[in-house]
Order: sequence, then C-alpha cells, then structure tokens
Amino acid sequence: MEAATPGNGSLVASGHSAVRSRGIGPPKKCAMLLAPAGNLEAAGQAFEAGADAVYVGLKGWSRGGARGELDREQLRQCIELAHALGKQVQLAANIIPKALERQRLLGQLAELAEWGLQAVIVNDAGFLREVRRKLPALAITASIGCGALNTDDALFYQDLGATAVVLPGYVEPAEIVEVKAKAAIQVEVMLHMVQEFIQLGKCWMPSYLNFAAGEQAIPAERLGGSVKRGGVGSCFRICQQPWMLLKDGVEVDQRLFPGWQLSRVAELGAFLDAGADVIKIQGRSLSAEIVRAIIAMYRAASDAWRCGQKAEWNAAALPVMWTVRGR
Amino acid sequence: MGAFELNTTISNLRSLQESDLSAYDAVYLGNIYCRIFEDNFLERMNDLKEGIARVKDQGLRAYVTSYAGPRNDALPKVEMALETAAAAAADAVEVHNLGVLRLIHEQYPGMPVHIGGFANVYTDAGTAVLKEFGAVRFTPNYEISLDEVRAITAAVGIPAELLVHGKMPLGVSDYCFLLEYESHWPEKCPVVCQKQLFLRQGDWAMRSVGKGVLSGKDVCMLEHLPTLLAAGHKAFRIETAYETPEYRLGIARIYRTALERALAGDGTVDESVWQMIREHTAVGLCNGFYFGRTGGEYIGSRAETTAAC
Repeated sequence: MEAATPGNGSLVASGHSAVRSRGIGPPKKCAMLLAPAGNLEAAGQAFEAGADAVYVGLKGWSRGGARGELDREQLRQCIELAHALGKQVQLAANIIPKALERQRLLGQLAELAEWGLQAVIVNDAGFLREVRRKLPALAITASIGCGALNTDDALFYQDLGATAVVLPGYVEPAEIVEVKAKAAIQVEVMLHMVQEFIQLGKCWMPSYLNFAAGEQAIPAERLGGSVKRGGVGSCFRICQQPWMLLKDGVEVDQRLFPGWQLSRVAELGAFLDAGADVIKIQGRSLSAEIVRAIIAMYRAASDAWRCGQKAEWNAAALPVMWTVRGR
Repeated sequence: MGAFELNTTISNLRSLQESDLSAYDAVYLGNIYCRIFEDNFLERMNDLKEGIARVKDQGLRAYVTSYAGPRNDALPKVEMALETAAAAAADAVEVHNLGVLRLIHEQYPGMPVHIGGFANVYTDAGTAVLKEFGAVRFTPNYEISLDEVRAITAAVGIPAELLVHGKMPLGVSDYCFLLEYESHWPEKCPVVCQKQLFLRQGDWAMRSVGKGVLSGKDVCMLEHLPTLLAAGHKAFRIETAYETPEYRLGIARIYRTALERALAGDGTVDESVWQMIREHTAVGLCNGFYFGRTGGEYIGSRAETTAAC
C-alpha cells in the first residue's frame, strides 16, 4: 500500500515486516485522527484525506486570532458536513474568558451543542468545570495550553470532568503508557506541531515586550494583549527573531530561540501501541492543500498500524511549506 | 502572618548560608526551572531538610517550592521533596503544576499550598477550583492587573501573593540552550545559568537562566506599596532566585522599611533608596502588568533610565 503525498515524501506500509513483527490479525482499534481546519475548505479536505474529526475556531473565541476561525454560519455548515460523513467537529474555545465573557461563551456553546457540536477544547480549569456542569453532554478537552505534562496532570483534568487531555508531541510513548496505566481520561497527543522554546501555555514574553500591540491590532470581543488568554495578534513571534546574547555585558552571540518542527509520523505506531486515544495535528492556519497532505500521511501510517503492518516513512523531512513553522 | 509578609526564593544551601535574611518573614526553598541547577534543594533532600531547619531557626516561615513544568520522570523527586517538607514541618509548599496540586491534595490533605506564578491563575473560576484542591494563597499569572487580582480575591476569598521586586518570570522551557555554549565558555553547567546573561534586541532585554526566561528589567512596586496595602494585600515577594546575597538583603531592607512606613501612614521613600535600587538593576525598572500595560513599562513618578545590561 502506498499513499502518495504531494511534496517529497511517501509513506509505505510493509506487509513483510508486519508478518515478522506482529503477525496478521484483525484490524486493531485505532486512535482518532484530529485535523486542524481554519476554513471550510480545509475541513472538507481533511475529511477526504481521512481525518476522523476536525477542530475549528469560532470567530472571537479561539486563541491565535481571527486567522483560522469560522463564523457561525460556516461552523454550522462544517458540523453538517461532518455529520453527513459520520465524522466530528470539535470547537477550540481556548481563550481564557473573564467572568462576563464566560456566560456569553457558555450560551454560544449551548447553542452549538444543539447544532451537533460534539466537543469543546478549553484552556482554563475554572471554565472547564463550568462547561462540565452546564453542558454535561458535551465532550471537553483540556487544551495543550493547559500545560499538562504528566500523569497527575491527566488525573487533575479527569477529576474536573474533562473527556480528554492534550499532551505535547515531545513526550515519549513510554510517558503515554504511564498516563494510561493510571488515568481513564483520553490522551490526545499533538504529534505534528512546532515545539517552541517555551512550553506551550507558559509564555508571556510577547506581552512583556509589547502588550498594546495585541490590544490595538483588531477590534474584537476577545481579551487583548495576552497570548495565553487569546489576545488578537498578540504573539508576534519574538522567539523567531534574532536576539543578541550578552554575557557580563559583552555580546557573545546572535541567535534565535531554539524551536523545532515536530512530525513524528514515523513513530506513530509506538504512540498507538502506547495507547494514545487521539492523534492531533497542529495548524489551523495551514492551507487546505497542506492539511490534506499531512492528514493523508498520518492516515496511511495509522491504517498500516491498524492492519498490523509496519509503516516506513522514507522522506528525510517535510517541506517547510507543510509545516506550521512555515505558516 | 503579621501586617505583611516579605518573602523570597533561594535555590540551594550555599546561597541560603550566604544570605542575611533578617529583612524577610519567609523563604521559598528550591529552584523551579532546572533539576540540575547547582545543588538544587529540590534534588537534595538532606539539604532541603537542613534548609527548612535553618530558616525556621531564624524565626521565619519555610516554604518549599516545586518544579514549574515537571514530566513524569521528575515526579518521584517531587514526592520526595513533599515528604521532606512534611517531615520537617515546612509551613507551606508552592505548586506551579496542577498535577502536583492534585497529588498533594490526595497524599497530604492538610498541607497548605501556595499556587505559583506558572500555574496560570487568570480567573476567579480557575482560582475557585484550585482552592478546592487545597490552595490557601495564589500568585496570579504575571499578566493580570491589580484590578483583576482584586476581583479574584474578592470572589474566591483566598489572598494573593504579589511579586513586588525582582525579575519577573516570562517562560519556562524543557531545553537549556546555554548548554550549546559549554564547549566555548569557561563556565559549565550547573553554574553557567547564574552568570549575567541577557538577550537583547534594540531597547528590549530579557534575562536568560537557561531553562527559563525572566524580565530584563526588575519589577519595582516600591512607590506603589501604599496602594497594595490599601487593597488588602499582605504577601509580597522579592524574586531573587538568580540574584546575589547582596541584592537579596539590600532590596529587602528597602521594602521592609517602606512597608513599615506606609503602614504608619507615610508613603514616601527617601531619595537615597532609589540610588540603591538603581545599583541593583542591570537594565532598569518596570511594573510588570499590574496596571494593565505592557509588562516592561514603568508607571509612576520615577523615570528610571534603561541601563545597558
């Protein structure tokens, strides 16, 4: 089986290695493949390429700004499309709302749940608990911005009523095994993502340097200024700009903060063996074409694993244009 | 607690022994960024036990902090530090990670917990959850304003601890890029991060401590202490995890004097004090986000110059 993907890479599933390593048996239950969708076209392409679900933002209520958000009508259409295909839509409501905004957002979520929204992704323990209490039928994911990293974090969000918790793609399969051994909550791993120098959810360098830039960028309902809260335009990627490093007042280097594009498709089988429930792809700002290509690649690897085959990723690296870093 | 509490952070026993803590009421022991920071209290249980005893022997409250972003491999050590803190009768533990908060709630239900600045306390709803898990005090996320802090304390009923002076944490990492320089520099891990290292771009500067990034400027709320006291705040932190004993003592004396004067109705600060403050900052002063502005700005009557780091 060969899944052709645009660009440099192709994914090959080897039946021979499967016979050697696992034997041929009935297909295994596979993790959900969760794709980003910044617009309706991307959602459609992701579903066609094999995503089980997409996550989308609703204008004004998701972290990262207006880029990559749907308006209410587009969201309704997205949910209808997913239902027609037997798939799911999750809503990234991953800002940190203030008290008044919480009630408005809860009202929106209640309406969207009636439309058929299956899950919401949130970024604040207090809001998570409030959604659980007010909308008990809605699945809730503790966003990667919650900063969960360990087994006890997973148990904490499980206690609050979360359905799933997102871990960053730089954790190892052994850590997933440890979490799954103690926690019943679903474990979602963002295997395709940009790993910035600072842990996700724990960076306020931009607002230290320029809070007002976020506040003035775009008139919006959401909180301004803070990346963490979801401020519009507030992450101006200072970590991707050159900095002078001084030691005892003397310049010793010009450098960027370290950062890496993670794409662990080659290790997907290990994460699935470890018990990951959801494989998540970062990048609501990616084009529909790129989302399709990435999802096709992960789908092929996932299907190969499900059938007991060994997937071999034979490209040295993803083209930059495929990556979230290249956004 | 008396009329106020002035506290600070000390990472290891050496630094504790070198520090005059006479101007403080409490000390947090441990380095939250790096497990291999020089003789980190959080990795050396005998040192931690001795540190707690030394602090308490001086009549101060001893708090034990914990890692900002622990993965599973760090949790056994976190549990050992908690066990040591409990056995040595530490007065509270500080928690930045919500999994660790849950762990304490399960295993040490009576242990007072202070929520740290990396726990991302932004809202009253979030703080209420943490209170149910045993939190008795919280450091708000550094990004929120004094008005927002007041709204949280009023709604939830637990006090805030405010950073009043020192370099404000801006981020924590799994990776130490200073290790890239080990082959070129005479200083090696685990002491290289204690050098005066700044990242600079134009007028902007941040302090690098390897796995953490701090504000280049020192937060300074000296002239705003009467406002903080009037708002009911009592717990104040001078952040000195990467500072010298001289800084730790000098700044604390200034703030203790100013707090006592403010409580007596005199909100003024002697001009000579500002000269001392200037001598202890490499880049300049700021107020953090307390006034709803860019964290690196200074609001107030002082127009301190930006230094060259």
